Amino acid sequence: MTQLFNDDFQEFPLKRALAQVVAKREAGAKVVGAYCSYAPVEVVWAMGGVPAVLCAFSNAPIAKAEETLPVNLCPLIKSSFGFIELKTCPFFELTDAVVGETTCDGKKKMFELIQEHRPLYVMDLPQCPTNEGAVAYWRHSVNGFKKFLEGIFATTISDAALEESIRECNRKNLLVKRIFAFGACKPAVITWQEMYAVATYAMSAQGPEAIAQLEEIIATLTARQEQKLFTSKAGAKRVLITGCPVGGDVLKVLKLVDEEGAAIVGLDSCTGLKPYADVTEEGSGDPLLAIAKRYLKIPCACMTPNTGRFEVLKQQVESLKPDLVIDLVLQSCHTYNVEAVKVESCVRGELGTNYLKVVTDFSQQDLGQLKTRIAAALEMN
Amino acid sequence: MLLDGETRKVVDRFQAETSINLSSQLRLIREQYAWDHLISTGYGRQLAQKVLGGDVITEIKAYTTSAHHFHPAIDTVIDLGGQDTKALSINRNSGQLQKFEMNDKCSAGTGKFFEMMAASLGLSLDELVTEALRGSKTVEINSTCTVFAESEVISLLTSGVALADIARAIHEALLTKLVSLLSRVMRSDTSEILFVGGGAKNRAMVQLLAEALSRQVTVPEHPDFYGAYGAAIHAIQSTRQEST
Repeated sequence: MTQLFNDDFQEFPLKRALAQVVAKREAGAKVVGAYCSYAPVEVVWAMGGVPAVLCAFSNAPIAKAEETLPVNLCPLIKSSFGFIELKTCPFFELTDAVVGETTCDGKKKMFELIQEHRPLYVMDLPQCPTNEGAVAYWRHSVNGFKKFLEGIFATTISDAALEESIRECNRKNLLVKRIFAFGACKPAVITWQEMYAVATYAMSAQGPEAIAQLEEIIATLTARQEQKLFTSKAGAKRVLITGCPVGGDVLKVLKLVDEEGAAIVGLDSCTGLKPYADVTEEGSGDPLLAIAKRYLKIPCACMTPNTGRFEVLKQQVESLKPDLVIDLVLQSCHTYNVEAVKVESCVRGELGTNYLKVVTDFSQQDLGQLKTRIAAALEMN
Repeated sequence: MLLDGETRKVVDRFQAETSINLSSQLRLIREQYAWDHLISTGYGRQLAQKVLGGDVITEIKAYTTSAHHFHPAIDTVIDLGGQDTKALSINRNSGQLQKFEMNDKCSAGTGKFFEMMAASLGLSLDELVTEALRGSKTVEINSTCTVFAESEVISLLTSGVALADIARAIHEALLTKLVSLLSRVMRSDTSEILFVGGGAKNRAMVQLLAEALSRQVTVPEHPDFYGAYGAAIHAIQSTRQEST
C-alpha cells in the first residue's frame, strides 16, 4: 500500500513537523510557538513566519514539572512546562516568540511562568462566544497579537498579506477536511496514524508545496478506495475519538482500540480535524475581524455554551458512522470532563451511538483497566 | 469453571490466587483439565489465551452473560472485585449490555480497600465484617484514597473510637463509592440489584447497599465465580452458534 508521505519520517509525524520548522527557520522565517488551535496562524504566516505546536504529550518531563507545578494538574500542561524547564523540547528551543490563549486556568497561569524564556503574548479569549461584543473583543486580541509580532520582529503585517495568508490557509484547510472525510469509507482506507500525521504536517506547512502534498495524499487515498485497498478488516467496529487533544503517550488509548481490531475513523480533537474544520471569509475588507469570527467558532470545551461541538459531533457521527464514540478526557481537564455529561447525552440519547468516556493521563498505570473498558465497549452491540 | 455443554451444570471449579508466575499456573490447568471450548476473562485473559488457546471476553461481558442467564429480570449489576468495581446496566429483554461504569484507576472503591483497612486494624476480612455489623454510624472516613483512609483509621483508633464503629465507617466509605457508580447506570424502575464479585460475600456491605438504595440486593451463590460462569456460558453459546 502506498504511504501518504513519501519521506523518511514514516511513523514519526513530529520529526517531520520539526524538519519542516527547521527548514523554514533556516530560510529566514521566525518561529512562533503556539499552544492551541485558537492561535490565529494566518497572522504568523502573513508575517512570513512559521507556527510550531508546543503542546506536549510525553510522560517523561512530568516529574520535572511537578517540582514546580501542582501534581493535580492537566498532564498536557505539566508535560509542556517540564520540557521547557529541561530545555529538551526541540520545538520550544526553535521558537523566537510564543503565543498563548486564555483557554483554561492551568494554561494561562503556566504562561506566566514561562514568559521569562521567550517573548510571549497571551491572547485574551472571550469564553461566551455568542455574547454581544465577543467577536469585537477577540478582534482586539488578534490585533494585539499582530502588533506584538510587528513590534518584536520590527516588521509590518499588511492587510494584503493577511488576505493572502487567509486564502492559503483556507485552501489548506479544505484539503485537510477532504482527507479526513475519507474516514467515512467502509471498510476504512485511512488509519488514525495517517490522519494524525496529516493534521501534524498541515500545522507547519503552507503554500504551493503544502497544497501539492495534500493533493497527492488525496490522490493516494482515492486510489486506495478505487483499488479496494483497505486499512481495516471488513466488519471491523468503527470508532470516533473526541475530547481533549491527543498525541505521544496518550496515544495509548488509540493503540488499545487497534489492539481490539477496531478501526478509528475520525479524530475530532485539536490534534485532529478541529483546527482545519472551518475557513475564514476572504476579501471581507477587515481580515482581522474575519479571522476573529472564524476562530471564535472553534468548539472547545472552554467555551460556554459550546453548541458548535454538538453540531460537529452530529455531522461526524452521520458521515463516519462510528459504532462507538470515545470521549478522551485528560486528567484534571475540568471543561472537557464536565462537558462529557452533555456529550454522552447527545451521542447516546440523540444519535443512538455507543459512548465511552475515558479519563487518563500520560502514564502507563491504567493500561490494564483501559484495555478492559475499551474492549467491553467494543463488545457491546 | 468447567460447564457441561448440554446441561449447563458445573462439572468442576476452582479458584487460586494469582502468583508472580501466572503462566505456570495456567499450564497446570492444561495438564489437569480437558475442554471443547475455552473462554478466558478478567485481567489475565490475554495471557491465558496465549497459554491455553481459545477466545477471550472482558469480565464485563462475562458478568452480563451470567447475570442475564441466571437473573433475566434484573437489569442492574454491581461487581465489587479486588482491583475494579463495575456497575452494569443490562437490557432485560435482549440481555445486551447497555452501559457500564468503572471505578477510577486507583484502589479506592474496590475490594482492595477492605483488605488494606482490615490489615491496618489487625483484623481478618471476616472479623472486619462482623465488627461493622455490630457498629453504628458515629464517625466518618472522609478520604476516598486507600492510603489516606488508612491514616484516618489510625487516628480514629488513637482517639478512642470503638473498633466496631470504625469498621462500620470503613464500609460506609466504600458504600458511597458503590452508590455513586450505581446511580450512573440504574434506572428509575430498577427494583433489584445483583451484587457479584468477591465483595458480595461481605454481609455487611450487602445489607448497607440495600438500605442505601432502598432496593432489593440479590447475591447469587458463589458470587466470586460469576465472571467465570459467564465466560463458560458464553463458550457454550458460541459453540452452539458455530454449529448451527
